[in-house]
Amino acid sequence: MSRMRTQPLGSQESDGPSSAPPVDLAFVDDAVQRLGNRPEALIPILQSIQAHYRYLPRQALERLSHLAQIDPATISGVATFYAGFRHRPAGKHTVRVCHGTACHVKGIERVEDSLRRHLQLEGEQDTDTHGTFTVERVGCLGCCTLAPVVQVDNVTYGHRTPEGIVYALKDFLAMENQRARAAAQVAVNGGGLLTKLRNIFAGPEPSAAENLPEIRIGCGSCCVAGGADSVRLALEQAIRNSKAAARVTAVGCSGMCHQTPLVEIAGANGGVNPTYAKVSAIEATDIVRRHFKSNGFFGRLRTAASQALDHITGQADAVALQRHSIDVRDGPVCGFLGPQIRIATEDSGAYDPLDLDAYIAHHGFAASRQCAEELEPADVIDMVLESGLRGRGGAGFPTGQKWSRVRSAVSEDGTKYVICNGDEGDPGAFMDRMLLESFPFRVMEGMIIAAYAVGAAEAIFYIRHEYPLAVRRIRQAIELCNQRGILGPDALGDGQPLAMRIVEGAGAFVCGEETALIASIEGRRGQPRLKPPYPADRGLWDKPTCINNVETYSLTPWIIRRGPAAFAAIGTANSKGTKVFALTGKIRRGGLIEVPMGVSIRQIVDDIGGGVADGRRFKAVQIGGPSGGCIPAELADLPVDFESLSQAGAIMGSGGLVVLDDRDCMVDIARYFLRFTQAESCGKCSFCRMGTKALLDILDRLCQGKGKPSDLKELEQLSSAVKSGSICGLGQTAPNPVLTTLRYFHDEYEAHLKGHCPAGKCKGLIRYLVTDQCFGCTRCAQVCPVNAIPLLPYQKHTIDDHLCTRCDMCRTSCPVDAIEVV
Amino acid sequence: MTVITLAIDGRSVQVESGATILDAARKLGIDVPTLCHRPGYAANTSCMACVVRVNGQNRLLPACATPAGQGMIVESESPQVRLSRKIALELLLADHAGDCQAPCTNVCPAHMDIPSMIRHIEAGRMRDAIVTIKDKIALPAVLGRICPELCEKGCRRGLKDQPVSICQLKRHAADVDLASPEPYLPSCLPDSGKKIAVIGAGPAGLAAAWYLAQQGHACVLIDQHPLAGGNLRYAIDRALLPEAVLDAEINLIRKLGVQFQPGQRVGQDISLPDLRRQFDAVLIAVGAIDATGAALLGIELLGNGLKIDKQTMMTSLPGVFATGAALTPYRHAIRAVGAGRLAADAITSFLAGRPIALEYSPFSVRLGVLDIGEKTTFLAGSTDDARVASFPAGLSSDQAITESARCLSCDCGKLQECSLRRWASAYGAEPGHYRMPRRPFHRTDGPRIPCVSAPAQDADETVVYESGKCIACGMCVQITAKAREPLGLSFIGRGFQVRIAGALDAPLTESLRKVAQECVSACPTGALALRKH
Repeated sequence: MSRMRTQPLGSQESDGPSSAPPVDLAFVDDAVQRLGNRPEALIPILQSIQAHYRYLPRQALERLSHLAQIDPATISGVATFYAGFRHRPAGKHTVRVCHGTACHVKGIERVEDSLRRHLQLEGEQDTDTHGTFTVERVGCLGCCTLAPVVQVDNVTYGHRTPEGIVYALKDFLAMENQRARAAAQVAVNGGGLLTKLRNIFAGPEPSAAENLPEIRIGCGSCCVAGGADSVRLALEQAIRNSKAAARVTAVGCSGMCHQTPLVEIAGANGGVNPTYAKVSAIEATDIVRRHFKSNGFFGRLRTAASQALDHITGQADAVALQRHSIDVRDGPVCGFLGPQIRIATEDSGAYDPLDLDAYIAHHGFAASRQCAEELEPADVIDMVLESGLRGRGGAGFPTGQKWSRVRSAVSEDGTKYVICNGDEGDPGAFMDRMLLESFPFRVMEGMIIAAYAVGAAEAIFYIRHEYPLAVRRIRQAIELCNQRGILGPDALGDGQPLAMRIVEGAGAFVCGEETALIASIEGRRGQPRLKPPYPADRGLWDKPTCINNVETYSLTPWIIRRGPAAFAAIGTANSKGTKVFALTGKIRRGGLIEVPMGVSIRQIVDDIGGGVADGRRFKAVQIGGPSGGCIPAELADLPVDFESLSQAGAIMGSGGLVVLDDRDCMVDIARYFLRFTQAESCGKCSFCRMGTKALLDILDRLCQGKGKPSDLKELEQLSSAVKSGSICGLGQTAPNPVLTTLRYFHDEYEAHLKGHCPAGKCKGLIRYLVTDQCFGCTRCAQVCPVNAIPLLPYQKHTIDDHLCTRCDMCRTSCPVDAIEVV
Repeated sequence: MTVITLAIDGRSVQVESGATILDAARKLGIDVPTLCHRPGYAANTSCMACVVRVNGQNRLLPACATPAGQGMIVESESPQVRLSRKIALELLLADHAGDCQAPCTNVCPAHMDIPSMIRHIEAGRMRDAIVTIKDKIALPAVLGRICPELCEKGCRRGLKDQPVSICQLKRHAADVDLASPEPYLPSCLPDSGKKIAVIGAGPAGLAAAWYLAQQGHACVLIDQHPLAGGNLRYAIDRALLPEAVLDAEINLIRKLGVQFQPGQRVGQDISLPDLRRQFDAVLIAVGAIDATGAALLGIELLGNGLKIDKQTMMTSLPGVFATGAALTPYRHAIRAVGAGRLAADAITSFLAGRPIALEYSPFSVRLGVLDIGEKTTFLAGSTDDARVASFPAGLSSDQAITESARCLSCDCGKLQECSLRRWASAYGAEPGHYRMPRRPFHRTDGPRIPCVSAPAQDADETVVYESGKCIACGMCVQITAKAREPLGLSFIGRGFQVRIAGALDAPLTESLRKVAQECVSACPTGALALRKH
């Protein structure tokens, strides 16, 4: 979103490179025709207009106001509320720079600085003068294990450095050229590669022979960002070339995101499935060759020939392949998987997420069928109550109580709704994305059970627009279920219908708050309202509405199938079952994990995550995202459950768990989250709109060494005012990162008051120095983007502190670690 | 209809079901601050100045939107609630960019409402002009001749060419009044039965007497000299200030019923204890005082003046007040006149048994320095006439009108009606508590609408939108939506950046076709205000 202070009038004026080009408005008419002219169609229409023009031309909005039954003030209000909407022409491609927590602690700011320098963007400018790239900041792309991440259109680039970002843009343009050539070829040949590419984005091909052994490749967003698509293409090519008796299956996320792309050979060797981590496309042939025999004489001959050729050219490197081979019985993998219990993520990585038969074969829809055929709605609610399930969206409200309230709420015409809150926006969290991508049917089954229990005939997914793969998979899953009659006129048995649909978010974190989410579905600005009344009584269109988080729904089929007692047996006294966490940050083995409630932070960090990476010291975990807090390493034995975390000043939140080491500045972390919540505040109530800004201003001053001793007291007083006075959960929890860091890391605040950043992070408080180690290789002088280091071959280099932008490129490029931060 | 009983600040109250906590509080006469609430419209829950604490919960709730519940225990005036309200107001003020009082008024030691005076002069309403002046300055004809023109240092017209000749305009208005058959005499409240001795008939004492008399108090001016006026008569060049002008203004003060006892020196001719016995209050306005003088009165000295409690202007002797140069020596009579009025306020509160809350300078948010672009906006539409040079003879009526037209009317169009100012002032909220970069100054004209309240010659007023003053409460958005304005106003953006503007970038003239008047009156600040022509 723009960091610019909006001018009150004329704010939507275009000031981009090509100002207000003439617009053909026929598309607007068409969009209204397709999507309807009612207020609730507003956001989909705007999304469609934006997809077409790449921004919202004012003429298009004017046209819309004439065509639809939506007043101009609502159009303006909604179009400017959501960060997903632009009001200036955009460049040809969009570069989304992820500012999630993991990306932040891994230096995205320097990457963005470098990107902006490369594109020569000044001040508020977001598009380069050629109109090729538009740079946008996003809260979190949910690829935290690949941090720092940028996304160029649909291509995700992980592990970016200030130098690597430039390479990503070049790579993207090169690929773009290839695609253009391929497209031209398709036009001539009538199909082929482009169809293939389209298939990849559309989902897996229908599986061929049923009994063939499988090569499974994880195809969650992280895996795809790690290059899984090209590996998959290469594997398929290799099978075709060798005519091997095998098939490739794109499966869901296994959670081992630190190992992507991950390839598993299933059903070939009987018991143990060999698994390869961090596979590249080049290695595909070797994997196929190693595990499967070619069919036919010519095939074998060709294989032999190409093997010989590979051998000569040195491409086949058996040792390299060995290096990537992991055994699930090995220590690290065992450690990663060991303490986990899989309920929401049951059968992870075992089958194609959209293979309905496979899901059914793995007990899929057994629970929903059981509900419809054997249980009364009240029984279902009793079971959920007995299981002790609490909402996984953050606040931990007992799910059974919520369902029971919706069930008993009065609706004049009997209409009730079920909503799945898939607006996962916490930076550093991607559990819901993974569940939606990898277990679409399970989430749906949970919603079917809820609809049956509360008496709803319509269920709605609200999914944030940053999750295109999740949206596509859910859309396809709904279609498949409609075809099979799992949804539709008799979905709940006895002629009770259930329809399901998707509403896409438009870029507003606050829409994760249930009343804001409902406002957004209704086509309004996503502003929360005061509760009560709760959505259970007055929700969507003022009807009783059951709204739960993705993970909550994912857990319910298991509870029904295995019985509430089995679920209640896991976890602690008041926190039952399991919790999925996105484990990221300064950790050796990041990924998605599902652990029983009550495991300690230390078990998660050390046993599952393998401890802090790069030999640094474990300092804290940030848990619960912008609403949560930082738990110091001293409290690592704290059991992870709702009560313990809230006593420690954090919250369970939706499950982001970012590990921090001694190079992370806690004042900076607090500032990072405040910057996030401040930018995401809806702006309705004064405490949140102004209070988060005032808190951020104080933290900014501290990080620049301009703090006053009274600032710390002010931070506390203002934090408690914002907590107690804000209307919704966003404002009520926004000060938590400040309060916990003040509580556990007061010394760091004190140090900042004295102009010192102990972690060496705050740009305003550090300097770069060249030590005597320097032998004059000139590399730093060459990479310095602002010429702050004169080129002095074979001499000790120096850094001009006034020019230095603290981009860190000299330090990371120095071959002998001769550059120090002081 | 069910009746709900709840308790607010320990007082029980009954309301019908559906009523809010705010309704209940108002029924009890508890003054809960609200900025974004308007009967007949949905609660905006935006300003959060009305928060209350319910049943001891940590979370505070907006009274305007929380239904009163059976048996609720509500805190409205507890320290925690009041502190939260103050913080809410200070947060709103932190991003509220504009001037409440005009800079000239802020600089004027007497805080006279200069822009109003000038507008009256420009419109030829000379009686209104003198009423405005004498509300704060008791001796304008005198000061119009000897005032150091401090207010003109603050005048924003100086950004364009030279400040408005405020002092001369004030003198003009006062001279016109004195020359009129019946110079302005304010009405006085009925006799309060209280007697006050004012020691010293200089500028501070005369001013205090002028305001005390208006409050219905019997006031006696005691002075060692044979004639009233103090330094104005005995220390100022007669050529600068003719005696006739001084006499004329003193005469008006006497016409209000103020007695004058010449030739009496307190401490010699009468003792302070005697005065305290004879009068309900005593005000010492003797001018600069030394140790001998202080000893004569029997009042402690602090630095260069008498020791008082700054909050009350009272000396250590109950009922004995001190003001003017007796507290701290100064050169300008205008300060003494201002201090005399403050002392009158203090004494009036004291005599009524109310706590004394002196307003040394009225609450005012300040816009501060303007950048080049803002200057242009600010000066837009101003006349090009040069400042009328000040003549010893004073201004002619034509000159006064031309000069008045040079005024930029920097004061807020809602100075008296602004809810934010009212509550910020009541809660002692400091505008500068949370420091933020100031929002840019931006002003746009809306539609011209017929004037509803002022005299007939002002047939039209223009709706003016100053976005810097907007607190994004959303009231105008609701009003235009409810009235089905074809375009209406809309929230633009979100969070800290959120602003109000015409839908689809329409100018204000288009957005406010039907309900401009209602939006202006509903706006809790001066963001939407009216400008007269």
